[in-house]
Amino acid sequence: MTAGAPPVRVDGLTMTFRAPVREAGLRAALRSVARREYRTVEAVTGLSFELAAGEVVGFIGPNGAGKTTTMKILSGILHPTAGEVQVLGFVPWHRKADYLRRIALIRGSQPIGGPAELTVMDSMRYQRVLYAVPRDDRTIDELVELLDIGDLLQRQVRALSLGERMRAGLALALLYRPKVLFLDEPTLGLDVLAAGALRRFVAEYAARTGATILLTSHYMADVETLCKRVILIDKSRIRYDGGLDALTTRLSPYKLLKVSVADPTGTEWERFGEVEHSEDGKVVLRVRRDEVPAVTGALLAQVPVVDLAVEDPSLDVVMDRFYRDGIPS
Amino acid sequence: MTIAVRRTALLLGMAIWRSSVQWWSFRSFVITLVAGRTVTPLLGLFVWSAAVPGDAGITTYYVVLLAVQLMTVSYEHHTLASDIYGGDFAVELVKPQPVVLDLLGTNLALRFWHLMFGAPVIVAVALLAEISLHGVDLLLALPAILLAAGLRFVFTYTLALTAVWTQRAHGAVAMGETLIFLLGGTAAPLTFLPEPFRAAGAVLPFWSMLGAPAEIAAGNIDAVLEVYAVQLGWLAVTSAIAVVVWRRAVRRFTAFGG
Repeated sequence: MTAGAPPVRVDGLTMTFRAPVREAGLRAALRSVARREYRTVEAVTGLSFELAAGEVVGFIGPNGAGKTTTMKILSGILHPTAGEVQVLGFVPWHRKADYLRRIALIRGSQPIGGPAELTVMDSMRYQRVLYAVPRDDRTIDELVELLDIGDLLQRQVRALSLGERMRAGLALALLYRPKVLFLDEPTLGLDVLAAGALRRFVAEYAARTGATILLTSHYMADVETLCKRVILIDKSRIRYDGGLDALTTRLSPYKLLKVSVADPTGTEWERFGEVEHSEDGKVVLRVRRDEVPAVTGALLAQVPVVDLAVEDPSLDVVMDRFYRDGIPS
Repeated sequence: MTIAVRRTALLLGMAIWRSSVQWWSFRSFVITLVAGRTVTPLLGLFVWSAAVPGDAGITTYYVVLLAVQLMTVSYEHHTLASDIYGGDFAVELVKPQPVVLDLLGTNLALRFWHLMFGAPVIVAVALLAEISLHGVDLLLALPAILLAAGLRFVFTYTLALTAVWTQRAHGAVAMGETLIFLLGGTAAPLTFLPEPFRAAGAVLPFWSMLGAPAEIAAGNIDAVLEVYAVQLGWLAVTSAIAVVVWRRAVRRFTAFGG
């Protein structure tokens, strides 16, 4: 990799599959034996982006958008149909050992591979040999402390809970200090406590090591906590690439005004905005962004307000709106 | 020894150990596998002992065949093909080591457990049948057993790779096993086959995978070097085919997804 070059550079990445198709019914089934028909499915189309060193980027989109396919291409599992990719100066699908020793693909669905009968320490020793980590390297000790997995080292992998398995899986994947991490749904199935701890660890790891991280997650809390930049992909194409704040502004032209009043009776809330929720003197109003100052002033002047807060809608709500309506131009 | 060779040997050793631990936990299943693998040589022993009573050579042959069977079993349709179907193959592809290394480790671990669990059966049958073996024959059989073990692994591995193209890789491996049963010396010792099947069987790969080492150990073959040569030849050919199939399989897998 040349000095100053971004660790991840993707240009015009395209991946198509030929999927067999046929009509329903016996006649169509028999016809397909003699003459199979195919449809070309676009998994990803013309993706172009770069990731800078130390950047943590959210790669988000609905199911089937092309996120995991992109992750698999970048980690070397898939060979694209077209386009150029350079990760740390390597073409991923050549799967050079020097490349594979510098990256990690961590899947929330299966954080630890290999025999589940072995203990976590057994797996760590194997990982150390596999990735040629020197015996005197102290990374294991650091990771054990940071991830609080000291009690898990002597336990068999099969006996670990999902959260414990994820923490142990992270330790195994980071043992050789990869320069680029591909995190695919890292908090999948974790409870709030475990997910929060994992996010804090990933943020700390990125800050300490300067690793570049590409993260996919359906949990917007992951993205909001870890990523300043997001790449939004839908129907195989990039729809947005930029700051998370700007995405919220662009996708949601509304803000939420959360108003608390001592006596809710007699106020015509519809005059101020669309009522999202109302209960026990607490009202949530949906107001256009450009009208927020005027509406706030009117509320304070005309209603006995106890408390008032202006908030962006949660990213979950914003994304739900995008998935249903698409991105506004 | 270079660093790369030492590291590969260490990784293979770890793969054997890791797999051994894993398969020990599945010991009930392994015992059923062992039982299944001992059936055909024992059946051959009973049938041919009855057909040719008093022939010590045939008894010795089938007892040794039983041992060779357990030392050369290959289950890549349970390991490699299952990895391909289950998605674990993708994980193996991004490990900085040859994919075959872990599979070879698993193969050797399974053979170890087959021999451990099958040893009482081999000893019991050997004692009951009152066979006698000669040290020289056993020494001569050792290289043949190693070549047979390698050949059978490469053969099954290649057939299991069809999992990339079809959902029925088990069928491909089962077909291979049937050929080994018929032409490998289990259904009948090669020496009992009529010509030209006997001559053809001796140069086909199936006998090299099973019957050849058993014949050498039983002291039924004089031209041992010729047998080694045939085994080596087939190992080279099947390895070359395996490399070609592997490249095509990986190309297809990486083009269509894991």
